[in-house]
Amino acid sequence: MSRLPPVIMDNGTGYTKLGFAGNNAPSFVFPTAIATRDSSSKRGIEDLDFFIGNEAISNSKTYGLHFPIRHGQIENWDYMERFWEQSIFKYLRCEPEDHYFLLTEPPLNAPENREQTAEIMFESFNIQGLYIAVQAVLALAASWTSKETKDYVLTGTVIDSGDGVTHVIPVVEGYVIGSSIKHIPIAGRDITYFVQQLLRDRNENIPKEESLKVAEKIKEQFSYVCPDIVKEFQRYDQEGDKFFQKYKGVNSVTGTPYEVDVGFERFLGPEIFFNPEIASSDFLTPIPEVVDNVIQSCPIDTRRGLYKNIVLSGGSTMFKGFDKRLQRDIKRLVDLRVRRSEELSGGLLKATAVDVNVVSHKRQRYAVWYGGSLLGQTSEFYSYCHSKAEYEEHGPSICRHNRVFGSLKT
Amino acid sequence: MILLDYHNVVVEETLQPLVSLEATALDSTVVDFDGVVYRISTPTLKTVIRFSLSWQCFNELVKWGANDMLKKYYGPYLCDEVESGYNLTLEFNLKELPEAKEDREELVNKLSLIKRNLLAQPFERAFTQQRQFEDENQPDPTPDLMQIQYREQEAIYIQAQHDRVTVIFSTLFKEETDKIFGKVFLQEFVDARRRPAIQNAPQVLYSNKEPPLEIRHLPELQSLGDNEEIGYVTFGQH
Repeated sequence: MSRLPPVIMDNGTGYTKLGFAGNNAPSFVFPTAIATRDSSSKRGIEDLDFFIGNEAISNSKTYGLHFPIRHGQIENWDYMERFWEQSIFKYLRCEPEDHYFLLTEPPLNAPENREQTAEIMFESFNIQGLYIAVQAVLALAASWTSKETKDYVLTGTVIDSGDGVTHVIPVVEGYVIGSSIKHIPIAGRDITYFVQQLLRDRNENIPKEESLKVAEKIKEQFSYVCPDIVKEFQRYDQEGDKFFQKYKGVNSVTGTPYEVDVGFERFLGPEIFFNPEIASSDFLTPIPEVVDNVIQSCPIDTRRGLYKNIVLSGGSTMFKGFDKRLQRDIKRLVDLRVRRSEELSGGLLKATAVDVNVVSHKRQRYAVWYGGSLLGQTSEFYSYCHSKAEYEEHGPSICRHNRVFGSLKT
Repeated sequence: MILLDYHNVVVEETLQPLVSLEATALDSTVVDFDGVVYRISTPTLKTVIRFSLSWQCFNELVKWGANDMLKKYYGPYLCDEVESGYNLTLEFNLKELPEAKEDREELVNKLSLIKRNLLAQPFERAFTQQRQFEDENQPDPTPDLMQIQYREQEAIYIQAQHDRVTVIFSTLFKEETDKIFGKVFLQEFVDARRRPAIQNAPQVLYSNKEPPLEIRHLPELQSLGDNEEIGYVTFGQH
């Protein structure tokens, strides 16, 4: 029998992405939530009575809702095991003993968590083999499609921006430089709130209970990143009818349609990445500066590689023009520094220009999952996995370390 | 454990374009229990969706009449040219689908049940044959022992007899612990019939190492010593 495709599971704080290797998009994307019944009914089947994902959310009135993953790390193993159980059997409909599995973990995950994961996967589900990959590394792998085969490198800076938080993670040859990781408390949700605030300030005619939903829709449909905020304002003032848009909605309660004017928030929303002061008062460093700081704190011999391959991942990096603006702003910072050091040396030193390159690609939204899917379909994948036999020989501790992809090549 | 649905959720969700009629590029491989692999793709045009299935026991199912079922339910979409590596290919042109949305939803639902429908075929055949046995006016059929090798070393045998339909599941447990669990579970299954509430349930028997009489003559069973056999008998009145 030919080998069945490996299962790729990316369990994030907010959403879980499930699917099979070789596919272009995950088969399922649903909230990492589990709804259980807490009451102790005497029927003895309460451990069967639970829902996950969207079904969990819709049943949250009669069931207790739990989120087993917090800040990227699994907090409740019991819930997580049941979450996996239903994702495998009910949604993916596969027999785990016939498949290899690729799971993901956040950077700086404790090895003990890997052991625990391995124990559940091998003991409860009896899977054939397991590989636990770091999310940032998979995001790097996902950007390979746009380039030549020879450029398959695992060095680069990953900017991962989801709903709750944005991370900047430097990866060198497949290893994460843990001490240089930076978190930015600005992400998708903050943009939505900011857009909502703008709409509210302008007194747009939106039903109160829908204002968050409308703000989200406007963010997703109309937003983009502008090269220069002052010029953009001028353009809107001069030829407004070209830029102003209308959002059409229907009141979910009364069913009456309404229209909302969409104006400056089109570019002001994503702008909070570059000028955080317009939305928040406690975090004020623009994202290009954060990226530059991260790379500068890495070992000196890795920095060129990190500048050369800045990879975007996650839904909040999908704004049109985000990559160009980021690339230009970082380039500006870098060039300034190079020029300063040349001046300070009194013209004695000449540096070769630093190549700054921000990579944007089509699969950015589920980049981590897609990277897993790419790696999972290679024939080498099986040799990187820890197999069932190895697990039984050595115990869960073998899963503390997962070989870096590409390390087996000669 | 959980209660499982009959249909395949991934197939149902991936085939949503058949309902919404939106042309999208698709290419995905998904699996189902017992080593079934589906491939849903749009190889030439975005409006033509190809749906292929591969299952190692497919030819056996065809032998027991799966083609009639396929023609009946999926007839207009069956494709003569089967995608390489697969056993069955259906093709859907978004422009030639039924008008009513309910019909299209029905179609997607039917497709997500295709595996169940395929496997149901030999059972249906056995039940019809058994009914012929009971019917005085019809000649008795000569029922064959239908073998469905649905996994590498596991099979289902179905045979109609004059007063019952015998279904034998031959399963193999690879690990020692699983063997013990299997045994406990099967014993429980057999004993459950003693409870007054389910006395009328069909009889279930199991045997270990020694294949049941109905299939003892099969050559391939001589070599496999460790197969756990479950005999499962359905009586005529059911």
